[in-house]
Amino acid sequence: MSNPQTDPLVQVETTCGSLLYELQIIWDEVGESEADRDKLLLEIEQECLEVYRRKVDLANRSRAQLRQAIADSEAELAAICSAMGERPVHIRQSDKNAESLKEELRRTLPQLEEMRKRKSDRRNQFLEVQEQIQDISNEIYGTAEYISSKKVVDESDLSLRKLEELHRELHELQKEKSDRLRQVQEHVSTVNSLCSVLGVDSKNILTEVHPSLGDSVGSKNISNNTIDQLAAATRKLREVKLQRMQRLQDLASTMLELWHLMDTPIEEQQMFQTVTCNIAASEHEITEPNTLSVDFINYVEAEVSRLEELKSSKMKELVLKKRSELEEFCRKTHMVPEVDSTMDDVIEAIESGVVDPACVLEQIEFQIAKVKEEAFSRKEILEKIEKWLAACDEESWLEEYNRDENRYNAGRGAHLTLKRAEKARSLVNKLPAMVDALASKTIAWEKERGFEFTYDGIRLLSMLEEYTLLRQEKEQERRRQRDQKKLQEQLIAEQEALYGSKPSPLKTQSVKKAPRMSTGGANNRRVSVGGTMIHTPKPDLLQSAKASPHSRPIRKSDRVHLNDRLNLQDDSSSVLSAGRRGLDIAGLPVKKHSFGNGNVHEGESPVMRIPFSPISSTASSKANMTNFSDELNARHSETLKNTLPTNNMQFTSPSKTASMATEENKTPKALPILVPKTPSTVSVPMQTATTPALQPVPFGIKVVEEILEEIEYSFEEMRAGFVLPKTHIKPMIQV
Amino acid sequence: MTSVQPPAPGRELSNPPSDGISNLRFSNHSDHLLVSSWDKSVRLYDASANALRGEFLHGGPVLDCCFHDDSSGFSASADHTVRRLVFSYNKEDILGRHDAPVRCVEYSYAAGQLITGSWDKTLKCWDPRGASGQDRTLVGTYPQPERVYSLSLVGNRLVVATAGRHVNVYDLRNMSQPEQRRESSLKYQTRCVRCYPNGTGYALSSVEGRVAMEFFDLSEASQAKKYAFKCHRKSEAGRDIVYPVNAIAFHPVYGTFATGGCDGFVNVWDGNNKKRLYQYSKYPTSIAALSFSRDGRLLAVASSYTYEEGDKAHEPDAIYVRSVNEIEVKPKPKVYPNPPA
Repeated sequence: MSNPQTDPLVQVETTCGSLLYELQIIWDEVGESEADRDKLLLEIEQECLEVYRRKVDLANRSRAQLRQAIADSEAELAAICSAMGERPVHIRQSDKNAESLKEELRRTLPQLEEMRKRKSDRRNQFLEVQEQIQDISNEIYGTAEYISSKKVVDESDLSLRKLEELHRELHELQKEKSDRLRQVQEHVSTVNSLCSVLGVDSKNILTEVHPSLGDSVGSKNISNNTIDQLAAATRKLREVKLQRMQRLQDLASTMLELWHLMDTPIEEQQMFQTVTCNIAASEHEITEPNTLSVDFINYVEAEVSRLEELKSSKMKELVLKKRSELEEFCRKTHMVPEVDSTMDDVIEAIESGVVDPACVLEQIEFQIAKVKEEAFSRKEILEKIEKWLAACDEESWLEEYNRDENRYNAGRGAHLTLKRAEKARSLVNKLPAMVDALASKTIAWEKERGFEFTYDGIRLLSMLEEYTLLRQEKEQERRRQRDQKKLQEQLIAEQEALYGSKPSPLKTQSVKKAPRMSTGGANNRRVSVGGTMIHTPKPDLLQSAKASPHSRPIRKSDRVHLNDRLNLQDDSSSVLSAGRRGLDIAGLPVKKHSFGNGNVHEGESPVMRIPFSPISSTASSKANMTNFSDELNARHSETLKNTLPTNNMQFTSPSKTASMATEENKTPKALPILVPKTPSTVSVPMQTATTPALQPVPFGIKVVEEILEEIEYSFEEMRAGFVLPKTHIKPMIQV
Repeated sequence: MTSVQPPAPGRELSNPPSDGISNLRFSNHSDHLLVSSWDKSVRLYDASANALRGEFLHGGPVLDCCFHDDSSGFSASADHTVRRLVFSYNKEDILGRHDAPVRCVEYSYAAGQLITGSWDKTLKCWDPRGASGQDRTLVGTYPQPERVYSLSLVGNRLVVATAGRHVNVYDLRNMSQPEQRRESSLKYQTRCVRCYPNGTGYALSSVEGRVAMEFFDLSEASQAKKYAFKCHRKSEAGRDIVYPVNAIAFHPVYGTFATGGCDGFVNVWDGNNKKRLYQYSKYPTSIAALSFSRDGRLLAVASSYTYEEGDKAHEPDAIYVRSVNEIEVKPKPKVYPNPPA
């Protein structure tokens, strides 16, 4: 029993020895057989071995666990290292056997911990970058890809290289983002400027593209879609701008044209300087706000339409002016303007837009040019005409002057009139030659041009012809007067023989005076003093005065006697009835013929005529005959009358009527121009005549005469089939 | 000169009478136009609107018509009646009768009387205001030497032209006998007589293409002014064709006048200066009647065959209303070249 406490095994062994001793004692006492003793001892021995085996197994298992833990942590470490792209921190080679397993484990664990921490840091970094990338690409590409790629970090590769890659990516994305932002900004500013030029609110357009663009502050959407839409909007605006610009420039050029045409004052132009200065500008040069706004264009348009209206009215004025110019020119050159359509028609046509005023203007200009050209060719003849007309005036003045009894009375200016008369006489002498020259010139002119030379719409040649005829008549008249004078002188001589006295000078005076009145008519150069139709209308109806052998000789005798008959009428009703009888007989048959109809039977002439046909020569000659017999009567009484000075005052003077009568006879030949084929604005002198003096006619005689004659009917009466009943006539006779 | 395109003859009125037009007149108050016709009707047109405003049918052809005021008028019919037409009610009543067709009718504003002339060789004056019975409306009957063909009034003067070339001038205040009895200065049957608007005389036209300008004043100075002139003639193939002058109408402002003839022409004349001012282009057929509107801006032209050649085929009857240019009717003073100094 040596110190059993110091060693438990010793203690256990002592305890076991003591126990065994004890057991021997017990057994000795009990007297257990040796066999039982051995058997029990073996049993104890086996039980002890079992306990040992169990303990060893346990220790063995714990060792294996330890080894596993070490291997695990080492493996993890290695994995982390490889993921992070780092070399493994610890390589267990140097003193592998030197350390116990537990030590090794203790050493490995902190390393692992640290690596884990580093790894999680790295991962966070990755996440952060990726998140940023995600954000940016979301911004760029829209939200579609957002969820799908959320937070997928590749755990296997967390190396710095990868991180760097990601950073690069991020950087690129950031760059793109800023690029896009700039782009969007640019677009927005373009839109803004375009809108300001076009006068449109840009905010509407921008918010339509994307609501975020409307705000001036805050982030802007920069997706592809937005940019595309912005570009489209810009394009659209630009197109609109181009259109408007085109429009405005068109308007501006029209405006400039109109200004130029109408000499618009600068002040008025100034207001539209902004418009016209852009006339040649290209699209990008127009930046002024509102220059292309709808309102502004409308404003300009209104101005242009105002100017155009002004122009059209001015055009109208111009047309009118030109037209009056043409008319004035024609009037000056005694030509008849060609176009007769009234100005109202033209204006109406212009207003209705049927005719372009410029076209009308051109036409008128053309006409003016034509007329001017023609006027130039007419100039020479016109000058001659003026001279001739002036000479004619002088001639008529001279005639009147010659008739003035007191012409030689020395009054104020008498010497001047004398001088004028002298001049006029020489001028009158030259007249025939003048007329001849003028006629030949005119004929030559007409031949050259192929159309008639007209003066105020009347053919010059016929004027000349008329004039020569008039002149001839005058000469004849003069001759006749001379004859008459002779006759009077003879009568006076007879009277003197009878009464021994001369008639008062009053008579001659009145004769002298009367012709002066007629010169009033003669003065009117181109006026052929139309007949009083005391005579038969035969010469009128018998147009071809030249062709008819009757007209000429009759005319001469007529003229002499016609006035005689007139005088008779003036004088006394008793003579008148005789005169009238003759007149009626002469006149009526012709009348009936010329407008004859079936109802009326012509007593005196068996020949029936269709309306408007010329009278046959038999009828006219008959008329002449009756006239002639009348005239024979008349002449006698006239001579008587002329001797009675008291009656003379009432007379229509002989020479006056004479000229009228001759004129009438002459007219058919001299006046074909009076019915021009085309209407003309030129006023044409009438074929006038002073009608014979009128005397109240007693009723009774008339009625008797009517009954003796055939009853005349008007067209209306014929149409209505109205026949005068005899009962109507009867009471009238008694009136 | 060269060819001239004919200007339009004026606006043709729609719904013209279906037979010859005997007369037409513009109202003194508006642009209404009263038209009488052989188709037994009187029609009222609004000339400016080209619209038919009323139509009256008579027992016989209507030979003349005139306005009373803008709401009523009178007509003279070949059925011997004188009728009053009230436009607003489209009503007519017979004012009185003649013994033969009534040729012409005139209303005198001065006397407030209606004057009618008939082929029964009388003139009758009517008072349309006492319109209860024939005995009361008839003021007087005045025998005429012949059938009345044309009447014209100015102021208190009445000029009556009859067959047989008589012309009687009456003072409406004393109708017992004519103030003047005249014979027409023209040798042929009188077609139309119209007084000058200034009241100094009258123009008278005959069937033989002539118009006489006469003066009432019998003094020598006045009578010296009278004259006659030829018109509405045509020379064709060496023959002179002379047409009747059916109508005369004086311009109310300028005193110039238009004449219309069976040649289908309307001429405008300046009586004072003895000039023709204008000739309108030819109308399809005879000019039966003419009338200037109250302001002289319109001229109504009846283009209607007047049976001068009996019953024959002819152009349809038409009424043209043309606007009158001042230049066509304004008198042009004579232009003389300056006499040599």
